[in-house]
Amino acid sequence: MSRFFKAGSDSESETESSEDDEIIQQRPSAAPVQSRTFQFSDDEDDSRRIVRSAKDKRFDEMTNIIQQMKNHKQIKDMANVLNDFEALIKAADKAKKVIQEEGVPRFFIRCLFDLEEYANECWEDKEWRKSISKNNSKSFTSLRQKLKKYIREKYEKEVNDYKENPDQGDDDKRDETPAPQDEESEDEVDTSVKAPVKPKLPAPPVIKKQLPKSMDDDDDDDDDIDWDSSDDSVESDIDDEQFDTGKLTAEYFLKKSDSGTSKKEKKRKEPKQMKLEETDEEGDWEEVKGGAPLIMERPKMFGKDQEINVDAVLKKLYEITSARGKKGTDRNEQIELLKELREIAETNNLGLGIDVKLYFNIIGAIFDYNPNTLTSMRNDVWESCLSYLQTLLNILIDHPEVNVGEHIKEDDENLTEAPLYVRGCFLTLVEKMDEEFTKMLQSCDAHSTEYVERLQDERQVCDILEKTLRYLEIKGTTLEISRIYLKRIEHLYYKFDTSCVYTGDNEPKKEGTSEQTMDKLCKFLYTSETPDRLRTRAILCHIYHHALHNRWFQARDLMLMSHLQDNIGHSDIPTQLLYNRTLVQLGLCAFRQGNIRDAHNALVDIQSSNRAKELLAQGLLPNRQNERTPEQEKIEKRRLFPYHMHINLELLECVYLVSAMLLEIPFMAAHEMDVRRRMISKNFHHVMKMSERQTLIGPPESMREHVVAASKSMKTGDWKACKNFIINDKMNAKVWDLFFQPDKVRDMITVKIQEESLRTYLFTYSNVYDTLSLHTLAEMFELDMSVVHRIISKMIINEELMASLAEPTQTVIMHRTEPSRLQSLALQLSDKFLTLVENNERILEVKQGIYPFQNKRDRNDRQPGTSAAFQHHTQGEGYGPPTSKSVTNNQHWNRRNNKNYSRESRNY
Amino acid sequence: MATRKQRAPVQYVQLDGLVVLKLIKHCQEEGAGGTDLVQGVLLGLVVDNRLEITNCFPFPRHSEDQEDFNEVQYQMEMMRNLRHVNIDHLHVGWYQSTYFGTFINRPLIDSQYNYQDSIEESVVLIYDPLKTTQGFLSVKAYRLTPAMMKFHSENDFTTENITKHGMTFDKMFEEIPVVTKNSHLVNSLLCNLEEKDKEADKFNFLDLATSSMLQKNLRQLMECVDATTMDINKYLNCQRQIMRQQQAKQQYLQKRQQDNAMRAQRGEPPLPEEDLNKLFKPLQSPPRLDCLLYSGQIDNYCQQISSFSTQSLGKLFMAESLQNDGQSN
Repeated sequence: MSRFFKAGSDSESETESSEDDEIIQQRPSAAPVQSRTFQFSDDEDDSRRIVRSAKDKRFDEMTNIIQQMKNHKQIKDMANVLNDFEALIKAADKAKKVIQEEGVPRFFIRCLFDLEEYANECWEDKEWRKSISKNNSKSFTSLRQKLKKYIREKYEKEVNDYKENPDQGDDDKRDETPAPQDEESEDEVDTSVKAPVKPKLPAPPVIKKQLPKSMDDDDDDDDDIDWDSSDDSVESDIDDEQFDTGKLTAEYFLKKSDSGTSKKEKKRKEPKQMKLEETDEEGDWEEVKGGAPLIMERPKMFGKDQEINVDAVLKKLYEITSARGKKGTDRNEQIELLKELREIAETNNLGLGIDVKLYFNIIGAIFDYNPNTLTSMRNDVWESCLSYLQTLLNILIDHPEVNVGEHIKEDDENLTEAPLYVRGCFLTLVEKMDEEFTKMLQSCDAHSTEYVERLQDERQVCDILEKTLRYLEIKGTTLEISRIYLKRIEHLYYKFDTSCVYTGDNEPKKEGTSEQTMDKLCKFLYTSETPDRLRTRAILCHIYHHALHNRWFQARDLMLMSHLQDNIGHSDIPTQLLYNRTLVQLGLCAFRQGNIRDAHNALVDIQSSNRAKELLAQGLLPNRQNERTPEQEKIEKRRLFPYHMHINLELLECVYLVSAMLLEIPFMAAHEMDVRRRMISKNFHHVMKMSERQTLIGPPESMREHVVAASKSMKTGDWKACKNFIINDKMNAKVWDLFFQPDKVRDMITVKIQEESLRTYLFTYSNVYDTLSLHTLAEMFELDMSVVHRIISKMIINEELMASLAEPTQTVIMHRTEPSRLQSLALQLSDKFLTLVENNERILEVKQGIYPFQNKRDRNDRQPGTSAAFQHHTQGEGYGPPTSKSVTNNQHWNRRNNKNYSRESRNY
Repeated sequence: MATRKQRAPVQYVQLDGLVVLKLIKHCQEEGAGGTDLVQGVLLGLVVDNRLEITNCFPFPRHSEDQEDFNEVQYQMEMMRNLRHVNIDHLHVGWYQSTYFGTFINRPLIDSQYNYQDSIEESVVLIYDPLKTTQGFLSVKAYRLTPAMMKFHSENDFTTENITKHGMTFDKMFEEIPVVTKNSHLVNSLLCNLEEKDKEADKFNFLDLATSSMLQKNLRQLMECVDATTMDINKYLNCQRQIMRQQQAKQQYLQKRQQDNAMRAQRGEPPLPEEDLNKLFKPLQSPPRLDCLLYSGQIDNYCQQISSFSTQSLGKLFMAESLQNDGQSN
């Protein structure tokens, strides 16, 4: 009940200031909602409260600040008042949205008004002003200025209003204003209500001002922001609407322009002009107009009777291009305009120079088309871009008299006469195109037909690259040639060319293979004066290409000669990624060639971190430790290689694991009893451990399980099972068939497995044999006698196997000199006891002289005693000389150490 | 309570056959063949100078997520039920299985202390399932020595306290002899069974495969030695720090004295005394209990190895003579 009453009174109070009768009738529904709903309190139902929570929060914040400000005002603490005022402005800014919806809160206006009054009062009080501290007075002046400016800028209207009837605010301060119970009706009357509701708001003047100035100014945001944007966006919405729909008729404004706002308008004009001088924010005004009208007047590029010559076209060109990058510029329109301009120029036969220049500009505009660097071009745009590039390139090639380059200054351009000079760098455009191409591929789904379609453009891209290369070889500088060479290399290195793989026969070398091209391009880059980065990349690509085509020795030598592994950490990230790719390819090549250790060494770094995907830039991995910021993710995404350049990760892992297996299993068998077990490959151990942890081990499914199963059978020397686990239909389909000439690789792996199994077998079971026939071994492992002989001889030489070969009988005779497991354990134990005793004595050294600790002595004696007793037992087991030696060693040790410690203890 | 305390301490433990069987059963069923530890409660009575253990029940195994499980309540409930069926229900200790004699550690000491604190005569039975499978039933009864009880009750494991109590690793536990006793009925039943079952394999204790056992023991021993070394290192570091601090303190004091002497010459008042402990905070020396325990464990391993080796040697000699006999025949 009280709501309606209040709503009534509310409307009444505003009647005074408003003019139109019909508007008054509609106002009760709309105006209060806008102005005072923020004061809703207890008796409103819950649902409504929830809806308003954001607003309440903002307004509470503001009222709090105002309350504080009041307190500070009372004690005339100007510095704090200034702070509060600034906080209030900030809060108001934050609440902008709410204010736009709900209207300017009354209390806010009142506060502004009070503050102004207060400031004026204080200003009058000269006595006080003299008495205050410097800091305070400084704050005060700045407060006064800021306040004035703020009110003038944003809320002049409301404050003036408030000045006229200040009590009203006080009256309904605690009032419950009606809820927007009639939202439907509000919709209906939306425009008709809202515009008149704020007759004192500057809406009409704004429109009026804009009208004469520019009908075509399609975004008036700038104007609004100047003086009333925070005021009410509803209003500017209306403006927009009116512009769009063409409702903006003269009578619409005439109606209101007589409503007494003219005075205010004048007032407002003054500050605005002042501001134009003061601030340069509004400088944009004129410039926007410069670009925009052109677009509007597009149909007639030149006046009918205007003479079209080079200068005119150039002038127009500058006009168009000067709009580039401006906020309101329609980029599509710009491209169209430029195209048209070019056509006009062409029809008027203005010559090649202008044509080239316009082409440059068009292509530039096309690259500009996409404001976002992350998203890729649209297909049609891309295609047109390619065609334009090609045309321009053809022109440049056909007309060698045209000189282009970035070094040519605008002023030096010569567009008409024979040696033409045009500013613009074709190479840059080509590079940019290449970048765009990569971006487009990145944005497609790699498994869609779209990707294939895009990939088909690669031909064209390469075509352009090649042509440019030929063109630049004639005209370009060394640096330019290097750049285009590198681009060419980067499009070449990862492509597999079957014609350059030698099958081993002495067939004549074919001409024109990618190998030769690479060779030529790279060698140029190596020899010429190019920046390091280009050279590094060229070397990496060259190595990659070598490795891809099984030229292991060339690839390895180049890698070693380049010394890249030492300083690659200092290069930029894309180059590091390329390095990773190259290293991986090198590893794969080594594997194919049977150089297992090299393969393992090349791959270990990439594989050990479990981040191969990330290191090769083939996808992003979820980062567990710290979430990356969106920007970081964007950057990382941009670095990713397109799908067709990827290296198969499963293949990579499999190759790594198989090489690790071939190295690690014999190693483990040989060093089973070592104290500290070193491992060759942590990753391999991890995989093995994971499988051991499983409660139930079924038949292998994945590649990894296959390798694990193979490793297990290899441990027992069962090479056939091992081979069957590594080479079978599943693994062929998953891994081995991905290689070029997979049969060769498979044969190599089989031989390696046989050899390493033999070694493992000898390591593991040699202690069971007294003699071993080479024939039996050769049969067991289906190897040649000579191979078995070779392997065993090598093991004997390396002292891995304590045995000797008896040639006449073709047998291996075991020497049985290596300690048994128990013996080696005992040896380890005695070592440990030694360190223990050593440490114990050290404690004694420290203790000596500080305070007596007799019990310590006892224990010290006892422990070596137990170990001696233990050693006695092991002696009984047939464990002779080493113990007694170790005992004597022990004493010897202690004596020596004692000396050392006494020296050390002196240092303490 | 007072009367009980005056009684002579338990001289030996008399185990009922039932207890042994239950223990073995529990370990076999739940201990995964000896690798997992199982624990349970011993019930019985003190008669004269012997502790008769006549019954036992296992602690139920419960997973980590059953947090609401109340062990104490379970025990009380169990004992009440046993009393209802008129079985001995007096708590006299607990039992635990062990893996290669690894049992001397902190938790065991703590719980045994708690047991002995509340029930003076309680013991812990250590059962070694692996030895049992080899043909030697291995059940040993331990309790903490009075000295250890006193030492533990102070809960101060610093070097000074150890010295004060004269505590060494071999003085922590005392072993009580265990006697297994069956009722006559059971004995006669066993005799009966023995007659019937003649082909029973009673010779698994003649197993000659010594090395695997020794290897395992050695590995355990090595782990223990490593732990001791680490502990000693820690202690050593601490000692060095203390040394350094002492030196710094000495220097500070000397300087103070000199200053004061100078001042006295000049007739000025001496510098005010400052709290030395504030300037040099006394360093905490690391607790030494772990070290004691490790030493005890090492000792235990060594004894085990030594007894095992002795037996193995005997077996080897026997095998040798058998071999020679076979050859000569």
